[in-house]
Amino acid sequence: MTDRRETWLFLLPGLALLVVGFIFPIARMLVLSVQGPDGHTVDQFARFFQDTFYPSILWRTVYLSALITAICAAIGFPLAYIMARSGPRVRLWLVIMVILPLMTSVVVRTFGWMVLLSRSGLIASTLRDFGLVGRSFQLMHTETAIVLGMVQVLLPFMVLSLLGVIIRLDPRLEEAARTMGCSFLQTMRRVVLPLAAPGLLAGSILVFTLSASSFVTPALLGGPRIEVLAGSIYKNVTQTLDWNFAAAQAVILFAGIALLLIPYLRLGRRAHG
Amino acid sequence: MSDLTLTNITKSFGKVEVLRGIDLTIRSGEFVSLLGASGCGKTTLLRIVAGLEGVSTGKVEIAGADVTDLPPEKRDIAMMFQSYALLPHMSVAENVRFPLRMRRVGTREEQDAKVKAALETVQLTHLADRAPRQLSGGQQQRVALARAIVSNPKVLLLDEPLSNLDARLREEMQVELIEIHRRIGLTTLFVTHDQDEALSLSDRVVLMNAGAIEQEAPPREIYDAPATAYASSFLGAANLVPARIAGGLATLADGQTLPIASGAPDGNATLALRQENVDFLSEGGLAAKVITRVYLGSRHRYILDLAGQTISVLAPASVMLEPGSEARIGIAPDRIRILPG
Repeated sequence: MTDRRETWLFLLPGLALLVVGFIFPIARMLVLSVQGPDGHTVDQFARFFQDTFYPSILWRTVYLSALITAICAAIGFPLAYIMARSGPRVRLWLVIMVILPLMTSVVVRTFGWMVLLSRSGLIASTLRDFGLVGRSFQLMHTETAIVLGMVQVLLPFMVLSLLGVIIRLDPRLEEAARTMGCSFLQTMRRVVLPLAAPGLLAGSILVFTLSASSFVTPALLGGPRIEVLAGSIYKNVTQTLDWNFAAAQAVILFAGIALLLIPYLRLGRRAHG
Repeated sequence: MSDLTLTNITKSFGKVEVLRGIDLTIRSGEFVSLLGASGCGKTTLLRIVAGLEGVSTGKVEIAGADVTDLPPEKRDIAMMFQSYALLPHMSVAENVRFPLRMRRVGTREEQDAKVKAALETVQLTHLADRAPRQLSGGQQQRVALARAIVSNPKVLLLDEPLSNLDARLREEMQVELIEIHRRIGLTTLFVTHDQDEALSLSDRVVLMNAGAIEQEAPPREIYDAPATAYASSFLGAANLVPARIAGGLATLADGQTLPIASGAPDGNATLALRQENVDFLSEGGLAAKVITRVYLGSRHRYILDLAGQTISVLAPASVMLEPGSEARIGIAPDRIRILPG
């Protein structure tokens, strides 16, 4: 009996935070999204889908998030593998290196990218010097810029999720695979990758949800013309003060992410067996 | 015809010299044990044969071809690990099929037949669809064995495969390994620190010490006629007693004498006495003091003080001597191994 009470006591702070900071606002948001001048209405949702403008923002949000997740996985897996198989000292330095972007302010980081990506920036001028691109070329305010900036800041989530799983894999399994005729790359594909699937899954979920809901980096690097849903919500809350429409968009984003995640989580349950 | 030839293999990790000049040839179908204490380099040598470890100098040949610089997947070998290293995301049958699939051996039907035959060999056909984690340690071990023999490798490498099993299962598996080896006759290199395993399983025992081969001989020979003090103390826990040899008699440190077989040169020597070759007498023989008695069920182990040396002796359970009392012991002259120095 006491055990049970203590369990509840331990749960209380987290539970309270969840209710006050998450469930209550989400409920408010749901209510707001269907609130009209005269009672309940789905007008806000109808407005979202009435022309292609908002659906295209939703689509951009989803595919950019998917692209960012894929790139993070492609870069993160080899990196996490190397980290897992190196000595503790090297690993520590690599971890510090990977999480360094998280330690800098988003503004500083983004201005760094601006210096690199703008029309007079390092990348554009170098490409221009080689005659590869025209005078008007720039990377700022493109989707590429958003992807670059987001991959940089979200990579640690992918790498650390993968590292936690790969580091617990017995290296003998890889050696056994080698003695059974696998080349190094086949060993990665047939042994390490399937066994690292839970980490890949966790990392993907983190990266995808974080990139779908981020708005500072996309707003600064993508500019006003390349909008993502979170940015649009922000604009409606702070500039047009249309809270009901903002709430409707938030509900759509929330539902969209949830819809995408459910099959993913199913996959995860199967991977855990 | 030899399946495995190692020529002057040396290996250093940084400044540490792990192997210093190993020469070893294994005939086709032979079962050879690498025996030694931990850290003697036996596992490193096995890993070099597998290609998991490079050599510092020397040459590895498998079936006449130089494979020194080939990666493991290009060598015609199979290896069984101490931890079994079964792939946890595959079923038993998929694990056994894995080497065939990766080496592209035959059609799917031929692979099926080989997997089935290998699982029959280790009597696990009924567990083919299980996941490795659903199996007991002994069963996992059989799967690992099936996976190692399925591709019919030129050389089968076994890295202490029995050491994670309990005593009863280990003895069963020893018998089974002998049976399987007799039936399919794979050239086998077996690493162990357990002298019983090495003696009971192999055609030839290679005793290693500090990165070099101490002695290599058939089991009976290496046990009965160890060439060095290390060999005799490692195999069968021999007792080493210093003595002076003169005219067919060995004189111990305390002046007691015992007859030895003729032919030993006069001078200082070490007597190697097997613990099972020492007999307790009612009178005569040598005097020794009983230090401890250990009950082993079927017999007693006595720790004795013989001329200032502590020796261990196995006796029938019927021999009852109290610690502190004096024992009379005798050793047949042809059972005494005389080592120089």
